[in-house]
Amino acid sequence: MYNMIRLIQNENMKIYKRLGTWVMVGLIIFVVIISGLVDKFLLSSNMEGTWQEELQYQSMELEKQINEYESMPMVGNAIKPLKEQLVINEYRIENNVPPVENETIWGFMSSLSDITSFAAVFVIVIGAGIVATEFTTGTIKLLLIRPVNRAKILLSKYIATIIFAIFMLIIMFAGSFVVGSILYGFDRLDLPYLVYSGGEVIERNMITHILSLYGLNSVDMIMMVTFAFMISTVFRNSSLAIGLSLFLMFTGQQMVMLLSEYQWVKYILFANTNLVQYISGTPLVDGMTMTFSITVLIAYFICFVFTSWIIFERRDVAA
Amino acid sequence: MKNKPIVQIKNLKKQIGKTTIIHGISLDLFPGEVFGFLGPNGAGKTTTIRMMVGLMKITEGEIFINGFSVQKNFEKAIEHVGGIIENPEMYKFLSGYDNLIHYSRMIPKIKKHKIDEIVKLVGLEKRIHEKVKTYSLGMRQRLGLAQALLHSPKLLILDEPTNGLDPAGIREIRTYIRKIAAEENITVFVSSHLLSEMQLLCDRIGIIHNGKLISVETVKNMVEEQNEVSVHFLVHPLHKAFKFIQERYPHTLSRIKGERLVLNIREEDITEYTKVIVNHGFKLSGIHGEQKTLEEKFIEITGGDLHV
Ligand SMILES: Nc1ncnc2c1ncn2[C@@H]1O[C@H](COP(=O)(O)OP(=O)(O)O)[C@@H](O)[C@H]1O
Ligand SMILES: [Mg+2]
Repeated sequence: MYNMIRLIQNENMKIYKRLGTWVMVGLIIFVVIISGLVDKFLLSSNMEGTWQEELQYQSMELEKQINEYESMPMVGNAIKPLKEQLVINEYRIENNVPPVENETIWGFMSSLSDITSFAAVFVIVIGAGIVATEFTTGTIKLLLIRPVNRAKILLSKYIATIIFAIFMLIIMFAGSFVVGSILYGFDRLDLPYLVYSGGEVIERNMITHILSLYGLNSVDMIMMVTFAFMISTVFRNSSLAIGLSLFLMFTGQQMVMLLSEYQWVKYILFANTNLVQYISGTPLVDGMTMTFSITVLIAYFICFVFTSWIIFERRDVAA
Repeated sequence: MKNKPIVQIKNLKKQIGKTTIIHGISLDLFPGEVFGFLGPNGAGKTTTIRMMVGLMKITEGEIFINGFSVQKNFEKAIEHVGGIIENPEMYKFLSGYDNLIHYSRMIPKIKKHKIDEIVKLVGLEKRIHEKVKTYSLGMRQRLGLAQALLHSPKLLILDEPTNGLDPAGIREIRTYIRKIAAEENITVFVSSHLLSEMQLLCDRIGIIHNGKLISVETVKNMVEEQNEVSVHFLVHPLHKAFKFIQERYPHTLSRIKGERLVLNIREEDITEYTKVIVNHGFKLSGIHGEQKTLEEKFIEITGGDLHV
């Protein structure tokens, strides 16, 4: 155990004593600030009336859209979220619960949870390099001729990558909190989050909602980083691992969308990485549940980790 | 050499794909000796060393270090081994000191003052806190030595430690290796393709060529051999003369080759042997000396790839 901690310390030293790492941290902070400014000064809806009037207008538009969809074939699931939104809008007006979407720290923070994929890019860069660069620079040789087995070395590298992921998420979360509070102040901190569940609207605590958004969004990140880690271990090439992982991360959802009429699509990794679909939205394929997705994710995860481990353990180091 | 061997290599083979790179090497190394592993480029030195330190899997055969099998008990076997395999590749973006901290964390029970001690031993005190990317090749070699010596190994493995160094750098490394072997009493296994260098540095030399260990000799023997010439005597009766020489000079290497008696003797002794042969009633119809120095022998073995 003590041994393991020292190995992780080593990997951390190799991550955080690199200038590139801090450039990435700087970029994350920069993006959070820029999103804040854009959110506040460019995107803020110049509301003319009250939020009630605004919502009523939005509901009208929604109804129009629903009618349009109902006359079209093959729309399938698209109507359901619109209808739910309609119910929530009515609830807001009846119970005097204004939306948080704009002009509050909460709105800003929950909209930023979507750009965890931006942090994911950096985490993938680290995860893709942590094994491969030891091979390309030849340092792997001196690393492996120590009285430590290879599995432990690999595990320490994986853990260090996950620690970096958590570090990036904390920076984003804390950064968006600070930027949000500067731009919007702490007004309306008590606003609840509304969900449509089982035929009625439920009020939930906002901060747990935002944390769970971050948590669910980072599932995607963890899976893709583990994938990159595997590719990097198998092919000892960090560019390949970065390229492949990012390509799949950004196109995977679309590919699944295109194929969503087939039942087997639900076994594809990318049909399951977006867990947010189960709290605010509808599943991609009918009949998919949170439990199903988590099971599929765990299966993929074990597969990635196992492949990395077997390959790393057996590899002849001839770099 | 009466001691128990620190390294035992038994019929070591390595096959990659369909080609066999190492064809059954057997070798024992003993505590405190400096062993030279000499062979031209591509002979299989690095491959052998990689198997010794567990970087490559062994196809056939076994390697024991300090009594532990490298395949079956890697952590125990490698515990007392330090090494540089090919170039001393360290983390360039870290300081020399951070590199040493890094490796020291991978060994149980290492004291901080041990690091400072080693840094002094390899003479890097002044620059140890600078980034490795600012180091010269010679300094990197010394840092490589430092990481290999951190845990006071019983066996130090160095793969072509003087590669790419200028003569001054080579002398420097040689001094360090000699100093380390003497002061710390450790076995040094050093590979090279340079005969001259090995002769100055080693106690024993093994010659590897095309994945086979051709000969293992002490440098002392080699140096003596180097002064010798094979002299061919056209003498009658041949077998009687052979027997006579064997009895009279039991320490002289003698053999029959075709119609000739061949003796490995020093040039200055040719007169004496001739005199003795003639004086004992043998008929001598010709003498022919064949220069066969050590270096020429290597060149013949290795097809001229071996730099002398
Ligand atoms: N990974 C590999 N795959 C195939 N052949 C290899 C590999 N590594 C080395 N060889 C071959 O094995 C032989 C020995 O190489 P090596 O051990 O590096 O020699 P040396 O260190 O003595 O110069 C060479 O002929 C080389 O081409
Ligand atoms: Mg070599």
